[in-house]
Amino acid sequence: MFLFIIKRLLQIVPVILGVTLVVFLIMQMVPGDSAVILAGEGASKETVEQLRVDLGLNKPMHEQYISYISNVVQGDLGNSLKNNQPVLDEILIRLPITMELAFFSILITVVLGLIAGIISAVRPYSYSDIGVMVVALLGISLPSFWLGILLMYVFSIKLQWLPVAGWDSTAHIILPAITLGAGGAAIVARMTRSSMLEVVGQDYIRTAKAKGLAEHVIIYKHALRNALIPVITVVGLQFGSLLGGTVLVESVFAINGLGRMIVDAIRTRDIPMVQGGVLVASLVFVFVNLLVDTMYRVFNKRIDLN
Amino acid sequence: MMNEIVLEVKNLKTHFISNKGTAKAVDGIDFVLRKGETLGIVGESGCGKSMTSLSILRLIPSPPGKFVDGEVLLNGKDLVKMSNEELRKIRGNQISMIFQEPMTSLNPVIPVGEQIAEALRLHQGLSRKQAWDKSVEMIRLVGIPSPEKRAKQEPFQLSGGMRQRIMIAMALACTPEVLIADEPTTALDVTIQAQILEIMKDLQRKIGMGIIFITHDLGVVAEMCDQVGVMYAGQIVEHRDAKDIFNNPLHPYTQGLIGSLPKLYEDQEELQIIEGTVPSPYDYPEGCRFAERCPFSTDICVQKEPSLIQYGDNAKVRCWKYTNEWQDSLAKEVLKS
Repeated sequence: MFLFIIKRLLQIVPVILGVTLVVFLIMQMVPGDSAVILAGEGASKETVEQLRVDLGLNKPMHEQYISYISNVVQGDLGNSLKNNQPVLDEILIRLPITMELAFFSILITVVLGLIAGIISAVRPYSYSDIGVMVVALLGISLPSFWLGILLMYVFSIKLQWLPVAGWDSTAHIILPAITLGAGGAAIVARMTRSSMLEVVGQDYIRTAKAKGLAEHVIIYKHALRNALIPVITVVGLQFGSLLGGTVLVESVFAINGLGRMIVDAIRTRDIPMVQGGVLVASLVFVFVNLLVDTMYRVFNKRIDLN
Repeated sequence: MMNEIVLEVKNLKTHFISNKGTAKAVDGIDFVLRKGETLGIVGESGCGKSMTSLSILRLIPSPPGKFVDGEVLLNGKDLVKMSNEELRKIRGNQISMIFQEPMTSLNPVIPVGEQIAEALRLHQGLSRKQAWDKSVEMIRLVGIPSPEKRAKQEPFQLSGGMRQRIMIAMALACTPEVLIADEPTTALDVTIQAQILEIMKDLQRKIGMGIIFITHDLGVVAEMCDQVGVMYAGQIVEHRDAKDIFNNPLHPYTQGLIGSLPKLYEDQEELQIIEGTVPSPYDYPEGCRFAERCPFSTDICVQKEPSLIQYGDNAKVRCWKYTNEWQDSLAKEVLKS
């Protein structure tokens, strides 16, 4: 187990190198010159040229990349092109907000999804099952920005139960977390249902019944543990799209998180900011995947991690 | 004491209802199991053996399965009429089951010791510690070496033979009055099979339980059983003392089965077979279900379904051949030709 974790941590290095390279290349290819954008409209050619030299943008691409990487290794993600503040400082302010949002969203995804999936699976083809699955289908189909606006309209504007936007109190977390977690909850619900239904048909469930165990023991002790294995995979994958989703939800709810920071940085061609943001987001994703893989082992000892 | 009836099954009918129609998987089964006795139920695949055994403990998935009629009396109490809660107290406690597939019948993510212990806690009210100790003891009893270590392992760490022993340990943990063993050795190789059978016989002597032994292996029947019920197309066609069935099979189907066994001291080019196939459970013929394949079939066999009739003191057979009607019918046919 320990060896496995060490191995996986080492694997992070090439992943991060790859991520930075791809982001770097994409930022080079997108139209728009950061020096021009930065200098503002009507700036003279000389000013733009001077800016280019100051920012090191005139150097060949590979030199730029290498110097970037060597800085990253030393913990320096560079300075924002916009305000010349260290990118890392900005990220350290933004990241906790996004992590908090992601945490509560994944909580909703897992808890809501599992409960709904179990309700469905216990009485398949009943009205409760059909009801839950219709809602789940809606959850998958609704785009999160639309759901966010809808929730905002109903709960903040009409009912006035919850704040519209911002990130100041616990109440502020509720709507964005639901918006972000709903799609995942729907997927987890469907996955749990099908996985449970498959497990319930297995021979060992018949054995458990033949033993005289009560239905709830059969479901929670014998079936759920087996059914969870594919669900964990889905939750892990879901976390990736959830990180992507923060971009939209943070914009809808005006939350100053990492996602919104990256979007703003892309808009202004603030390359160091984009690179830093994406780098940190991928680090988070890699760690979550590591966590998921380790959890497999806890739920299913047949998986030999080494 | 040996003659005390523990389990009596009367006219048990379990059907499966689907788009294709109604499959009469179990269609009027009667038998009696006495204390300490082993009743073999034999028949080919799909004849309803397993469905009979699952029906006894109401383990048929429903839908599509449907209990249609019959009584299952355990010490005179009808399991069919019991609530689910009452029945749960009997499952795994008074009546236990061993299944055909040791590889898949154990929960893959729960240590085997715990899988045995949970039944002990449930039915015998043992504490966690007591149940675990008893569970380890049961594992030792079925002949698995270093039971303390094995109890903590999960099924994937055990061989097929060991898993089936665990199943036996689980089934016998609460010293049941009836053990239903549904082809317990089919998936195992022959040496392991012999060991498992030996363990079952040994434990039967100790506990005095009645065993219903479901198999398609006549060799195992000879080895294990006191009584045999031969099943064909959802019904019992012959019920005999095990020792008699090999020497003097009555039903033409049983005769075919016994005849198809390879003989050790004869030089056989080809084994005997029973011509034809089993009729579909969705569409059984009106008369005898074996008539189409039977060398003794006459008009009456095709027209009317035979009932299970008493033959001599301790044999029952579902065949017209042992009735006067058949003699008449045969005579008519002879006259016609």
